[in-house]
Amino acid sequence: MRKTDADGPILEIDSLSISFFTRAREIPAVMDFSLTVQPGEAVGLVGESGCGKSTVALGVMQDLGTNGRIVGGTIRFKGRDLAQLGREELRDLRGCEIAMIYQEPMASLNPAMKIGRQLMEVPMIHGGLSAKQARAMALRMLEDVRLPDPRRILNAYPHQLSGGQQQRIVIAMALMSKPSLLILDEPTTALDVTVEAGIVDLVRDLGRKYGTSMLFISHNLGLVMGVCDRVCVMYSGEAVERGSIKDVFDDMRHPYTQALFRSIPRPGADKIRHPLVAIPGNFPLPHDRPGGCNFGPRCSYFEAGRCDAQNLHMAPVPGKDRHETRCVRFREIDWNQPLQAPDRAARAQVGEVVLEMEGLRKYYEVTPNTLFGSGGKRVVKANETLSFDVREAETLAIVGESGCGKSTFAKVLMGLETATDGKITLDGREIQDKPIHKRGRALVADVQMVFQNPFDTLNPSMSVGTQIMRALEVFGIGRSDAERRARMLEMLDLVKLPRDFANRRPRQLSGGQKQRVGIARAFAGGARIVVADEPVSALDVSVQAAVADLLMDLQRERKTTLLFISHDLSIVRYLSDRVMVMYLGHVVEIGATEQVFAPPYHPYTEALLSAVPIADTHLQKTRIVLEGDIPSAMDPPPGCPFQTRCRWKDRVPGRLCERVLPPDIPLGEGHRIKCHLSADVLAEMEPVIKPAAT
Amino acid sequence: MEQLSWTGALGPWLNPAIGAAVLAFGIAAIAHMFVALLTAGQRLQHAPGTAARHSPLAYRLTRGGLSLALGALVVVALAYLVGGILLPPDQKGIIGYLSTRFLPVWIALGLTFALSFAFRRRLGLYGHLFDNPVGMIGLGLVLFWVFTAVFAEMIVTFDPVRDVLPGMKNRAPGTPLANPAQGQFDHYLLGGDMLARDVFSRMVAGARVVLAIAPAATLFAFMVGIVLGLPAGYLGGRFDSILSFAANLVMAFPVILLFFLLVTPEIVEMGVPAYMAAVLFLFPIIFLVILWNARYRTHPMRRNILVGLTFLIGGWLYLGLAWDADPLGLISIPDGVLIVFVSVVFVNSPTVFRIVRGLTLDIRTRDYVAAAQTRGEGAWYIMLWEILPNARGPLLVDFCLRIGYTTILLGTLGFFGLGLPPDSPDWGSSINAGRGLLQVFPFPPLVPAVAIMSLVLGLNLLADGLREESLKD
Repeated sequence: MRKTDADGPILEIDSLSISFFTRAREIPAVMDFSLTVQPGEAVGLVGESGCGKSTVALGVMQDLGTNGRIVGGTIRFKGRDLAQLGREELRDLRGCEIAMIYQEPMASLNPAMKIGRQLMEVPMIHGGLSAKQARAMALRMLEDVRLPDPRRILNAYPHQLSGGQQQRIVIAMALMSKPSLLILDEPTTALDVTVEAGIVDLVRDLGRKYGTSMLFISHNLGLVMGVCDRVCVMYSGEAVERGSIKDVFDDMRHPYTQALFRSIPRPGADKIRHPLVAIPGNFPLPHDRPGGCNFGPRCSYFEAGRCDAQNLHMAPVPGKDRHETRCVRFREIDWNQPLQAPDRAARAQVGEVVLEMEGLRKYYEVTPNTLFGSGGKRVVKANETLSFDVREAETLAIVGESGCGKSTFAKVLMGLETATDGKITLDGREIQDKPIHKRGRALVADVQMVFQNPFDTLNPSMSVGTQIMRALEVFGIGRSDAERRARMLEMLDLVKLPRDFANRRPRQLSGGQKQRVGIARAFAGGARIVVADEPVSALDVSVQAAVADLLMDLQRERKTTLLFISHDLSIVRYLSDRVMVMYLGHVVEIGATEQVFAPPYHPYTEALLSAVPIADTHLQKTRIVLEGDIPSAMDPPPGCPFQTRCRWKDRVPGRLCERVLPPDIPLGEGHRIKCHLSADVLAEMEPVIKPAAT
Repeated sequence: MEQLSWTGALGPWLNPAIGAAVLAFGIAAIAHMFVALLTAGQRLQHAPGTAARHSPLAYRLTRGGLSLALGALVVVALAYLVGGILLPPDQKGIIGYLSTRFLPVWIALGLTFALSFAFRRRLGLYGHLFDNPVGMIGLGLVLFWVFTAVFAEMIVTFDPVRDVLPGMKNRAPGTPLANPAQGQFDHYLLGGDMLARDVFSRMVAGARVVLAIAPAATLFAFMVGIVLGLPAGYLGGRFDSILSFAANLVMAFPVILLFFLLVTPEIVEMGVPAYMAAVLFLFPIIFLVILWNARYRTHPMRRNILVGLTFLIGGWLYLGLAWDADPLGLISIPDGVLIVFVSVVFVNSPTVFRIVRGLTLDIRTRDYVAAAQTRGEGAWYIMLWEILPNARGPLLVDFCLRIGYTTILLGTLGFFGLGLPPDSPDWGSSINAGRGLLQVFPFPPLVPAVAIMSLVLGLNLLADGLREESLKD
């Protein structure tokens, strides 16, 4: 099909309203939403889950499913009203002029078709190219998305590629038809940080190269800042603020935007001096929105009689270019007023060493045939000689990408697996060989865990109260059911949940509330060591801060030792005392938080830091994009585990990195790194994050 | 006494009415099909859920006509049933008499539906069924047969086995008795079979046989499948490999051949079915004992009481059912029934095993299972209290489908003359007995065939409804 050319905006959404119709009622998902995307412009759409940002994208694609419908407003693409187009015309438009990239790359690719065939389909269907031309084009496109060895990849099936490579293929497929508009719906959420950084760079560069306009949907403000020129913040189905990145990030004019920025950890944040401020209350349900301003009930500037009086409309902010906000009071609010930090108890005093690891190893043997037990055995080296100690009331963050062995370590510590070698000492007792059923009741209650996925952490068939009571029962707390029930209600108070939640089912709770129940369950037996496995990463940003603070409060009160497993370096920096960085089963760096976040770094830490998206226009960071993927733990590289992706490798003479595993080098005050780099090379390292030159 | 007509005094009014309704329904259906095809292009532009607002006039007209015709059809059918009950006896037709005999079933059905509908918001998944027309129809059909089995003694007009009346062999429906005794029912409502027994009474009594065996056998198969499938999925390893292999073996063996083997007198004499019963009937006791022990490990008193009760009652039932050695002499099942029961359980349990194993493999990766593990819970607690309750949705649906499958299996067994005694009124045996003269006298085999069909259809619809409603939550 011939592309239509038009001057003026690529995409013009004008007071769009989208509703979903259920048997019971109409549920408005998007209301009075307007947005303009100019040619070559990248616009970010930011908001928490359920705010309607994906619905907007589906509306643009005219793909709202069986019960969704546009109930008002228009969507114009290059001046043509999409609602007036017939099915055939829409088919020509989709995939050719408007392309979409989804969150889960594996779900976007056909697992039964070779990559080459899938890519070639696009120009063959939309451009009428011959198979040969299409193949040549696919090859060029694979080079453009910086995939190594494109010829081999053309002949591969999707499952033979890593998640990052798959997402690059999806991007390549979207760009095959040279679309005018690319919609990216959380394209990197399923990927690791270093892979994410690579994809984001790629998207931005390709957007510039082809002049493609982009609608970038994300919940991550840092990512949006990295990719987009303009941003639109959504809350509960409405756009609340719109403007250029700089205007919205530095001079926001809507209380929700401000609250959002105050609830995310930024490099300057610190749990004592600049605590995060969670947004109070809960996201309103779509059929249960307040009158007037949707954000009113959670807003600290709320004024009864004005904010809840009538429906609000977007108003331009004077003196700014295309900066608008949906707030009646934005002219009166003093936006530069510093945050009133709530009074906080001081950092808890760190006590004696409670937990010690010495040369801990965990290897798995993989046997291909279980019935007859024959066949070659392969060994997965999940943990290699972990040695460190943790003190009472201390927060040790364990950082690394998926596959680095942090979850295996947690399993060994919990007693779900036994160690292959080495020692774990808890209060002077060796526990590495004790599986959980051989540990005493007290020991089990002492070491507990908080899980990642709030939707999975509670048994859906049991009431909240029963689950906490069961934990109390198992830990032998309380003599009668009545006593345990009273104790369970106290636990609910402790995690700041109303007492009548005891009789609710998990599905009646929001993600943050479920996570609180999970925390109550972990602390039920008076745990002294709590392993928190990414406890906030699946939560919305406004809830993250509240749950993280709850963990901190409990820790301070009870002098609990917290092992905080995470890949999110911003939150790690915010709440941990010490940080341990893992890569392929090795501890590559460990030290106090300030030491780890300042040079000299281990090269992997440096790359991780540079990959973390930062939502702050006053900072700039050095871009270090890691090439390739994490090697398999089944077949680790010889020598240093990181040598295949290290950018400092050539500074070590004699190819030492490829032959010898580096020793731990002490850098003073408990800070040590596993690296061959000499002291003077390390001294050359510059901070990854610096104040931006203005 | 003369031959009864189907509709009796209602015929002159209702027969033309139903003819008209059927005709209208047929025309409306065909018209709607054509209009739907012609306007497909216009309607697809809008989402199907909102079709009502946007579909063209013709489409809406034909659809309205279709529902109207369907409504008329239902109303006339109901008029036959209700009118049949209200008419005085000498004016009733066959339908009228049948409807009157089923009166206890209608009352029970009406009460159940009214009560369930009134309290449907408090009844969990069962209550949700009443939001779903398909599920409601399924439940209605199933309950109809359940109540028929319960009230069989009040419904039957003759003894299904012993009443062999002279001159009633292979008679058409509605045939009057030559010389009825005092107080005896004076017609064979659905005719007589080749041994001059009442087809209607045999069908009603057959419901009792089928509904006594099929759900119980399915339940036992589930016990076996769950007790073996949970550890196979949860623990994995060699245990799983061996059990899965054995399950595949059983499933690969032709079912009918297996039944033939099991009922062969030599095999029965060797005691194979009895030993199999001895093993299979142990599983429910094992299941309950593990269940209580896992849950109340922390309350030894409560656990001991529950386990003791299970052993006492379970052991009593077990002795009676499996060994026919009930010390009180209350419980025993006839040999033939035992064999059928055992074979059905044996054939069904490997499939249940596979389903439970698959569900367990999925659910055991959930975080709440990991949370239970880090609490130091035992493997059985995790399997029975963390995994099993969350697998209940698919298992419930499979349970309904499997009862239907078992019903058909019982029919097949009866049809081959396996297991149950030859004069048993169960539906399969009746079909088998009547099949020889099917072309001349269709009613003796047709009636139980329709009965099987409607029960299995009801179970399938019920399963569909349950699946749909459980997905919505």
